[in-house]
Amino acid sequence: MTAATRPGLRRVEQVMGTAISLDLADDLPAALLRELADEVFGWLREVDARFSTYRADSEVCRFDRGELSFAETSTDLRTVLERCAELWGATDGFFDAYATGRLDPSGYVKGWSAQVASDRLRAAGAANHCLNAGGDVRVRGHSVTGRPWRIGVRHPWEATATCLVLTGTDLAVATSGVYERGPHVLDPRRGAPARGLRSVTVVGADLGLADAYATAAVAMGPSGVGWLDRLPGHLHAVVTDDARQLHSTALPLAD
Amino acid sequence: MRRALLAITGLAAGTTALVVLKGSPGATPVAAGELPAGPAAVPGQSAPATPGATRPPSARPTGTPTPKPSASRTPRPKPSASSGSKAATSAPRRTTAAPRTTTAAPPATNRKVTGPVVANEFGNVQVQITLSGTKIVNCLALELPSGGQSGQRSDRVDAAYSGTSGQVVQRQSASLDTVSGATYTSRSYQQSLQAAIDQAR
Repeated sequence: MTAATRPGLRRVEQVMGTAISLDLADDLPAALLRELADEVFGWLREVDARFSTYRADSEVCRFDRGELSFAETSTDLRTVLERCAELWGATDGFFDAYATGRLDPSGYVKGWSAQVASDRLRAAGAANHCLNAGGDVRVRGHSVTGRPWRIGVRHPWEATATCLVLTGTDLAVATSGVYERGPHVLDPRRGAPARGLRSVTVVGADLGLADAYATAAVAMGPSGVGWLDRLPGHLHAVVTDDARQLHSTALPLAD
Repeated sequence: MRRALLAITGLAAGTTALVVLKGSPGATPVAAGELPAGPAAVPGQSAPATPGATRPPSARPTGTPTPKPSASRTPRPKPSASSGSKAATSAPRRTTAAPRTTTAAPPATNRKVTGPVVANEFGNVQVQITLSGTKIVNCLALELPSGGQSGQRSDRVDAAYSGTSGQVVQRQSASLDTVSGATYTSRSYQQSLQAAIDQAR
């Protein structure tokens, strides 16, 4: 299939310190697809500017330093802060936007902003798309082949292999693990790196929640498996430190 | 697990108090003013410079979760995951013996103080703190209860899995549209399967 005959649009850009891959599969005019992609990446860059903890002038940093009161913050930041607070409760403290000692909602913001972008695409008439924000994936509809989207889950020891393949037409798939940046996920109870789970993948409807739940489960360690199973509306796959793989039986595995 | 958190909190608070007390002979009035009200003064210890000083609001026991966004100050329901667990009424005793190892004023270098092993109905708890002067710079739980409710999986949970101990993780090859993985850095993306998929298009 050549680019000339293939409908849709694909684009990769570096935003938020990671690679964002967008695949628009709708057979829409090329100019419209470009406009939609521009809006997606424009939104993600805007989120980066406002929510990055690496930019001293970001809204998050100004709020953290007390230069902005809660009432002066944007609706988006208030939404994020409220969700982070809810997640802190829902995960029994294992998802903690203050884990580093200062406000850092990055663990929610990436998934949330990609989810918002996907919602906007659907509202704009692009019902078939796949948005991958640094490994957090939101798919809707079908790929250009007409099949449901096929999402590999990275093998936790081999960067170029997958250990599971999921398929679906409306999925948020987020994976957290200790393999990418070393044992950086802290167990806030012990103050030490989390142990027991090398990789956790959560499948749900909202990418921000799925990402936060996956991160929290890694921090929980082995007891995170039981916790994940009691999460309503979410399915998951887990690879333990000793290379055992467990997953929900209802996980939408590709044949 | 909530109890374990309370235990850490209690221990950290108690240990903080004693460490600050120990340092008080050479300590500044500011340090004395941070004395938590909890444990009684250690006998033989000189009275703090400001005996009636109230604990400043900033003197929070370390080891507790850091403050939440102001929007979240209202009490939050605890996770439904632990529904059925009893209310956390068995807060650990805060006044159990904490280490009394030093008598001199604390040096400015980092040092570690290990608390006693405290047993509760769920197991043992032991906390180690690292101090720089009189400031706690790290807190580590050396021992926490394992097992218990939070570590158990019900038969129903096990039945929902591919196996009680799972299968050995395998490599699976199939045609893919995209790959989910732990967050790529821009550099690691270059070596990722996702990058290969993106380039193949």
